[in-house]
Amino acid sequence: MIIQALAFYLFAAVAVASGVMVISARNPVHSVLFLILAFFNSAGLFILIGAEFLAMILVVVYVGAVAVLFLFVVMMLDINFAEMREGFLQYLPIGALIGIILAAELILVFGSWVVSPEAAQVLTAPALPAGDLTNTHALGNIIYTEYIYLFQSAGLVLLVAMIGAIVLTLRHRPDVRRQKISDQVERKREDVIEIRDIPTGSGV
Amino acid sequence: MDIVSDIAVIRPELFVAIAGMVMLMFGAFRGESSTKFIYWLGVGVLVVAGVLVLAGPTGTSLAFNAQFVVDDFAVFVKVLLLIGAALALILAMPFNLREGIDQFEFPILIIFAVLGMMMMVSANDLMSLYLGIELQSLSLYVVAAIRRDTLRSSEAGLKYFVLGALSSGILLYGMSLVYGFAGTTNFEGLATLFAADSEASIGVVVGLVFIAAGLAFKVSAVPFHMWTPDVYEGAPTPVTAFFAVAPKIAAMALFVRVMLEPFGALVLEWQQVIWFISLASMLLGSFAAIVQTNIKRLMAYSSIGHMGFVLVGLAAGSEEGVTGILVYLTIYLFMNIGTFACILAMRRGGRMVEDIDSLAGLSKTNPMLAGALALFMFSMAGIPPLGGFFAKLFVFRAAINAELYVLAVVGLLTSVVGAFYYLRIIKVMYFDEAAEPFDKGLGREITVLVTVTVIVTTFFFIGLAPVLSGAEAAAAVLFAV
Amino acid sequence: MIELAIFLPLIGGVIAGVFGTRMGDRASQLVTTVPMLIAATLSCYLLWDVGLQGNERTIQLFTWIDSGALELNWALRFDTLTAVMVFVVNVVSSMVHVYSIGYMSHDAHKPRFMAYLSLFTFFMLSLVTADNFVQMFFGWEGVGLMSYLLIGFWHDRPSANAAAIKAFVVNRVGDFGFMLGILGVFFVFGTLDFDAVFKAVPDVAGQSFEFLGMDVDILTTICLLLFIGAMGKSAQIGLHTWLPDAMEGPTPVSALIHAATMVTAGVFMVARLSPMFEFAPIALSVVVLIGGTTAFFAATIGLTQHDIKRVIAYSTCSQLGYMFFALGVGAYPAAIFHLMTHAFFKALLFLGAGSVIHGMDDEQDMRKMGGLFSKMKVTAVLMWIGSLALAGVPFFAGFYSKDMILESAFAAHTGLGMYAFWAGIAAALMTAFYSWRLLFLTFHGRTRADDHTFDHAHESPPVMIAPLLVLALGAVFSGYLAKEYFVGHDMNEFWGGSILMLHNIIEEAHHVPFWVKKLPILVGVIGIFAAFVMYILKPNWPAAFVARIRPVHTFVYNKWFFDELYDRVFVRPSFVLGRGLWKSGDGAVIDGVGPDGIAAATRNLAGRASRLQSGFVYHYAFAMLIGLVLLATWFLFGFFR
Repeated sequence: MIIQALAFYLFAAVAVASGVMVISARNPVHSVLFLILAFFNSAGLFILIGAEFLAMILVVVYVGAVAVLFLFVVMMLDINFAEMREGFLQYLPIGALIGIILAAELILVFGSWVVSPEAAQVLTAPALPAGDLTNTHALGNIIYTEYIYLFQSAGLVLLVAMIGAIVLTLRHRPDVRRQKISDQVERKREDVIEIRDIPTGSGV
Repeated sequence: MDIVSDIAVIRPELFVAIAGMVMLMFGAFRGESSTKFIYWLGVGVLVVAGVLVLAGPTGTSLAFNAQFVVDDFAVFVKVLLLIGAALALILAMPFNLREGIDQFEFPILIIFAVLGMMMMVSANDLMSLYLGIELQSLSLYVVAAIRRDTLRSSEAGLKYFVLGALSSGILLYGMSLVYGFAGTTNFEGLATLFAADSEASIGVVVGLVFIAAGLAFKVSAVPFHMWTPDVYEGAPTPVTAFFAVAPKIAAMALFVRVMLEPFGALVLEWQQVIWFISLASMLLGSFAAIVQTNIKRLMAYSSIGHMGFVLVGLAAGSEEGVTGILVYLTIYLFMNIGTFACILAMRRGGRMVEDIDSLAGLSKTNPMLAGALALFMFSMAGIPPLGGFFAKLFVFRAAINAELYVLAVVGLLTSVVGAFYYLRIIKVMYFDEAAEPFDKGLGREITVLVTVTVIVTTFFFIGLAPVLSGAEAAAAVLFAV
Repeated sequence: MIELAIFLPLIGGVIAGVFGTRMGDRASQLVTTVPMLIAATLSCYLLWDVGLQGNERTIQLFTWIDSGALELNWALRFDTLTAVMVFVVNVVSSMVHVYSIGYMSHDAHKPRFMAYLSLFTFFMLSLVTADNFVQMFFGWEGVGLMSYLLIGFWHDRPSANAAAIKAFVVNRVGDFGFMLGILGVFFVFGTLDFDAVFKAVPDVAGQSFEFLGMDVDILTTICLLLFIGAMGKSAQIGLHTWLPDAMEGPTPVSALIHAATMVTAGVFMVARLSPMFEFAPIALSVVVLIGGTTAFFAATIGLTQHDIKRVIAYSTCSQLGYMFFALGVGAYPAAIFHLMTHAFFKALLFLGAGSVIHGMDDEQDMRKMGGLFSKMKVTAVLMWIGSLALAGVPFFAGFYSKDMILESAFAAHTGLGMYAFWAGIAAALMTAFYSWRLLFLTFHGRTRADDHTFDHAHESPPVMIAPLLVLALGAVFSGYLAKEYFVGHDMNEFWGGSILMLHNIIEEAHHVPFWVKKLPILVGVIGIFAAFVMYILKPNWPAAFVARIRPVHTFVYNKWFFDELYDRVFVRPSFVLGRGLWKSGDGAVIDGVGPDGIAAATRNLAGRASRLQSGFVYHYAFAMLIGLVLLATWFLFGFFR
């Protein structure tokens, strides 16, 4: 138990600290790296509550794909970060004020958290029939039954995202030469080679 | 838990989703040459969807563990937004083909956006609500930026996307607060919970404020309106026309449903939020519009102001108020489509012009167009007997009966201010020195659309009774316990 | 049938007014003049039928207003008083219509002119046939409107516009009194029908109400208010200033409206309301005072004027004064009698003057005339006839009516009556003098016109002379023929119930001393002789005389400085007040705070609101967050309160 608690506080502390670093780091590459660190720690937190599927998905999707993509984008784009920071400092006071107010309010809100009497019961009751079902299996069980509507809708959202990405980025450039194998294969000798008799000495 | 009966309930949505995918396949295989056909296919899909909506089960039916609901309210709004989307699509076709926006994905994205809207309108759970919103928004972000080679269109899409993501975050945060404090995301569950619990918990109330803020962004109510003028101006005009009607109608309907169904018992809490954003929207919408020189920006502020008026009906929190909202949205749809059809006709030398000044002397160079636009402006200003008058009449009456006198008075005063800039357009068209005439030949589609919307706007009072009874039936659903 | 006499002018006027420009000049002249002539014929029949046969009647046409306690019918009341008025109005009007065909032959807007004339006639007829106060007021305002339009007929002349506005505004003062009077009648009697009111008058007489701590007699108040209306319309002293200026209108208008008909509306009104005035002796005294003063005062001004039309205008004013003091002493029939004879000879004089002006290329200044007798004999003879009638020379029309009035005033045996009598005698002297001054200056002696004008001076065409002949017949014979009916033995049968006299002053007037009867004739002859001496025998005397009495002459020549007085007392302070209210009140305060201020504030707000729209996406995001935090804070505070 004590190890679990220690691990929780470690993961949590590192996650929060790296979250702060994401927005305060001077070098954007460092920001992205701290973001990856935050993801890893979140994954650790998931494992602590026994949600290993989510933890793995977080690492695979967010660390493996999204964050790395971020990294590429940040490194490839030429963004003047010094200029952006000036603006940041200019708005810092009022931004901080708003942030503090919001934070204070949310603390107030959580201060009023009342745990319902049945909650303890629900918590102690095993979410899954012990041992029988894996995490993945259990998720699948409700996603494809109870939440089929939401699951399919999410699929549609992703489809639209895909269409959008294509619509906004795919370009047909007529001046770009592409290899068309079928064209190459179908090319005949007569189409491309012409033999001419040229009298010697007269030039082309 | 019978999948067959569930599917019967979502038949229109299912049809639209599958049709969208079929269109996508069709376009992908046939290429750009089929664009025009796909536009008409899209219009056809919307029409068929409308028929399916009307032919759907009567009364209230739930599906998918009560995540989805079809009732009179949903049917009324869906019909409305399908009409709006179909008209906008017809409007977009000649423009897009002419301006080189020939991606066949455009109508498909519109179809998916409409699907998202239908899902929003039928949402009966915070999760399905969120997915509907995202499906809709994502499609809209893309169509806003569809003219990817022009700076303004890309900028509009990006701004819309960033701010939309922020609003989605706010919305999600609010939902999680509500879930955390209430323990359920289902509308009925929330409703029974709050009805039983007389004193709402503070977490729920803050969550409610967040949700309201997220939804206010979608209806572009002040202070969550900032994206509207830039996006309206930057996006291609037919896209703006679409933005001005269908998403607004869907978001407003969703707003109404969320406030009145799950949070109906908390009316005293959220009434103040709505009161504030309604007041602020009316004021900003009318005042900021005065100094605009671009007609699309003007329409953006005009729609902010209109949403303020609609929110007056929501602030009333009564059946009468919801009836007023639905009537308002109906007439708002036709006025806006008509106005944008006129704006689309503002072409000079083959290029679009958007300056209000370029309308100068339109009454001499193109009297029919000027007459139609003047009619829409009069209607927007709320001059009887045009449709816009009845729209305002019903929401203000609801406000008076709900004893929201400040809102009603401010609403009337801002209507006067609003009348100023609507009438200014008429003044420019009729009394200013004639500018260079617009290109001749509006195109068949625009001519037909303008004619239809003019007729609807002018003779709205004839069809008022059926619209009113439909709206009353729809509103009653939300107040049935 | 007899309604046609009233409505034919309306029909003609509307047709000419609406279709005039399309029909052409000749057609619109015909379409107005022919109905007028028919109407005039009908009104002769009407006078015979009602006045001589005694067939008084009231024709109900339709219910006009029915609102709560107020119910008004549109009815034509035909009694002798109305019949006389209809006769006068229609005959003079038809003559003026005919005359206008010639007089306006050079004008570009003949259809409009004819339409105005006909419509005026209709309004005047509806005034005199009124069965109730409101119908009378309708006609009253209608003639006021048409008078305004006709005075300003030549609207390209600034002086005509000014005169039209002046006439309208001064009349409004009177009309306001009239209106208050009507409201008072309704308040006190609860009805506005003449018959019902007249029946109730004896009960109300003597009652009083408290006003500012004083007991004021109700009926006197009402009658005085109504009389203020009459003063405005009939140009009595105080509200007379518009009449001379109204001569800016075309001469036929002056003849019809400002001599024969409209200006006598006040006289008619008091006569019509005799059942009320008879019970308000104080009001009658005021009428005598005003009438006598006007008669004298206007005559003095008439002595000094040079404009031929203004002389006649002041003469009209003076004659109206006669009529009023006749009314005041209770001699209503004498007043109406004089009204009728005056209508003939004054219209004759005006139209004659018009004929002179027409023949002299629109010259109106008598100093530039003279010796025209040889050029326009017929006109001159007719003018002589008119002047003889006006001066009250025996056997001409004016003789009978004017003498009757003076005798009545004398017979009243009151202080005011004597005042009016002597004022009238003085006025008669001056009337004779200025009439012959006019004749001599215009037609006799050596000409003072320039050669060109004089050579081209010519007699008017027959279409203008013919109406003059008809009117001349009236000026010669109407007095002799009508005197038995109007003020003689047949008086009571003739008037029937249309006029109420509590005691018969006319009867007493027949028994005044001999000198009283002959004095008017004597002063008339003296006046004529004086004019002959001063303008024919010794033409340099007037100038010498004027130099001798320079201050008096200046005072009189400037019309007793009434215009200047009004300018100082009313016009300029009103201008100052109006300008002040406009600039500081309306402009600075109301506009500044109201429309302009709100507009400026709106513009300012609009500018600010659109400056919020910076275009930076992080500003927008920030605004959203601030809004969110504000809302959340609001709620938290609300929650913990």
